[in-house]
Amino acid sequence: MEQSLSRADQIALNNRRTGVTIFQISWIMVFVCLSLVNFQIRSNFAAWPPVGVVALDRVLPTIATAALLVSGIAARGGRRAVNAGQVTAFLFQWRIALLLGVIFTLIMGFQWLTVDGGGLGAQYGTIFRVMVAYHAVHALIIGWMMWGVQRSAVRGEYDDGNPMRTWLIEACARLWYFVIVAWILFYVVLYIV
Amino acid sequence: MASITVPMPGARPQTGTRIRVADIFRWSVDHKIIGIQYMLTAGFFFLIGGALAMGIRWELLTPNLDVVADGQQYNQLFSIHGTVMIFLWIIPMLAGFGNYLVPLMLGAKDMAFPWLNAFAFWLIPPAGILMLLGWFVGQTEAGWTSYPPLSTLYSLDGQTLWALSLHILGLSSILGAINFIVTVKNMRPQGMGYFQMPLFVWAVLATSIIIVMATPFLAGALTLLILDRVAGTAFFNPAQGGDVLLWQNVFWFYSHPAVYIMVLPAFGVISEVLSVHSRKPIFGYRAIALSSMAIALVGFTVWAHHMFTSLTPELRIPFMITSMIIAVPTGIKVFSWLGTIFMGKIHFTSAMLFALGFLSMFVIGGISGVMLAAVPFDIHVHDTYFVVSHLHFVLFGGSVFGIYAGVYHWFPKITGRMMDERLGRIHFVLTYIGFFFTFFPQHILGMAGMPRRVSVYAPEFQGLNVVVSLAAFVLGISTLLIIWNVIVSLRSGKKAGANPWRALTLEWATTSPPPATNFVGDPVPYADPYGYGTTGSKAYLDALERSYGESEYPSPDAPKTLQKVGAPAGD
Repeated sequence: MEQSLSRADQIALNNRRTGVTIFQISWIMVFVCLSLVNFQIRSNFAAWPPVGVVALDRVLPTIATAALLVSGIAARGGRRAVNAGQVTAFLFQWRIALLLGVIFTLIMGFQWLTVDGGGLGAQYGTIFRVMVAYHAVHALIIGWMMWGVQRSAVRGEYDDGNPMRTWLIEACARLWYFVIVAWILFYVVLYIV
Repeated sequence: MASITVPMPGARPQTGTRIRVADIFRWSVDHKIIGIQYMLTAGFFFLIGGALAMGIRWELLTPNLDVVADGQQYNQLFSIHGTVMIFLWIIPMLAGFGNYLVPLMLGAKDMAFPWLNAFAFWLIPPAGILMLLGWFVGQTEAGWTSYPPLSTLYSLDGQTLWALSLHILGLSSILGAINFIVTVKNMRPQGMGYFQMPLFVWAVLATSIIIVMATPFLAGALTLLILDRVAGTAFFNPAQGGDVLLWQNVFWFYSHPAVYIMVLPAFGVISEVLSVHSRKPIFGYRAIALSSMAIALVGFTVWAHHMFTSLTPELRIPFMITSMIIAVPTGIKVFSWLGTIFMGKIHFTSAMLFALGFLSMFVIGGISGVMLAAVPFDIHVHDTYFVVSHLHFVLFGGSVFGIYAGVYHWFPKITGRMMDERLGRIHFVLTYIGFFFTFFPQHILGMAGMPRRVSVYAPEFQGLNVVVSLAAFVLGISTLLIIWNVIVSLRSGKKAGANPWRALTLEWATTSPPPATNFVGDPVPYADPYGYGTTGSKAYLDALERSYGESEYPSPDAPKTLQKVGAPAGD
């Protein structure tokens, strides 16, 4: 399908793809930065979490992470389906991706609210909350874009499979992968290391 | 090397699109208008930053308080001076050059994302205004580096506006850099590989890579600073388990590479100007191009040299070594530039004078930089005027001299008119002398122990401070000359023609100013953008003249006949 585009459209599409890739490489550095901040903050304490502070539960966030990973697979499947002209299959997989994203957000929202962040745990709780909230902002904005794409698909805007229009789906999927990669980094920093 | 002698197959002389004053204040997606918008906005903030500098030097004429009421006001002066000069003058000014020139040099009709380009620019004026509004709520006093606890516990609300403003400027910078990288990667014309690109484009590419990788760290640091100031967190407060060094690490991880963000595009300008005005091929093209990339890479490994006095001793040596290593690619450039002008047919145009001024002054800044990279010396002069001198030799002697060289070189392309060369030379002489005597004596003051960021100092430092302040006033006046030159030249400068310097890069293969779409058809680049002195390049330039008509040659010392002679370093 892309071969049928004009040269100008092909260049435009290529530019968009490169642009999103560079944005991803660039913006992941904020997440790297916050991860390094986490390490420097914890280096000031003899133990992490500080003695007397309740450590974060790992079970729920692991479930949330699994949900997020599966949502990425579903988004990828949706993207492939629309490229193959199967809008119904796209909608099914895309909605699964969205639903799993909502589950992830709710679980992490719950942990955000219940983390031990008072007294001795001030730094422990604060850095956790900042990192999770920063990630959530990205997840919500990109999730909202995915929701918009889904509504466009319902209206039939991708039925003709025009790559210039389905680019929006590709962009959303790529950005959703970004949310996933950023979260895996945070998951390792917050729960594993 | 080259066989192509027809730059614009089927090209007809075009009428350039003259940009009207109203266009400057309008949303436009034309990269040329956006480039000019960047330059004018940056120029406006340069005047503000310069006025603040004059205030600082006026205050320092005597050892006592004269101009400002107290140290707090003085802190506000130098804090905003530094921030404005870095974030609202040098960075956007060089971005302006990039916006105007990169698509033209690549033979493209515009940037990859024109709308995003306009959006990135229009973030700058409100961000600048936001920063200046700090004066109404208690301006920042923590210097451009804004170390906590000065920026957290001891600053007023202007500090929060400062942080918000930098956040916006950082976003603008990242969006612009993404646009540059995509444009360079995807929009080069047929026949222009990476190693046929003009060196200015290489410089912009390297700068953009630094911006996209480093600026997010500034965003992270500013987010934490704002949270500490408004949301009650304590990331930088040791009393509550925070860490003041956290800011220094994250801030310098951005801000040291930011030095290269400010100087690499100026390097690119210098590579263009030296080659064109020496009528010689650039010496060591690949070395210059790849050393920009090396600087971009090594630039990420040196940040902690700003923290030698607060760093744990075992980390000082590795950072000392990397800081010295980064002088190597910079040295490669300097020697390549010297090789370029060696035995060249040098035309002492205003652009060339500023490029030569850059070479001498930047080298002094580089040498003092290597001195500061040595831990024992750095500890001795830490927070003294030696550091102030070093950074100004790099950022004024480097970046600003490069900007001036670029203005004189590309003004004819942008406006279609030549600048007044006589005024340009007076501007150069005043700037060179004013600059040198403003900043060189500061080395001596620093080594003698005068601390930076003080409004009251020991009386024994007054003699040199008077010299510095008087020279600074000369430097300030010299700035008015280039403004006057721009105004006069816009009104009555000689018509430039398409290619007054007989340069080989593609921006000259179109009318001055270029038409809205830059070129008619797809321009064919000359295979070696610096291949002066070859039969092929002469044929290419002659073909350009046939297409666009002959250009006036502006310099009284190098009449057109001489300029066209095929000397060893001729066309």
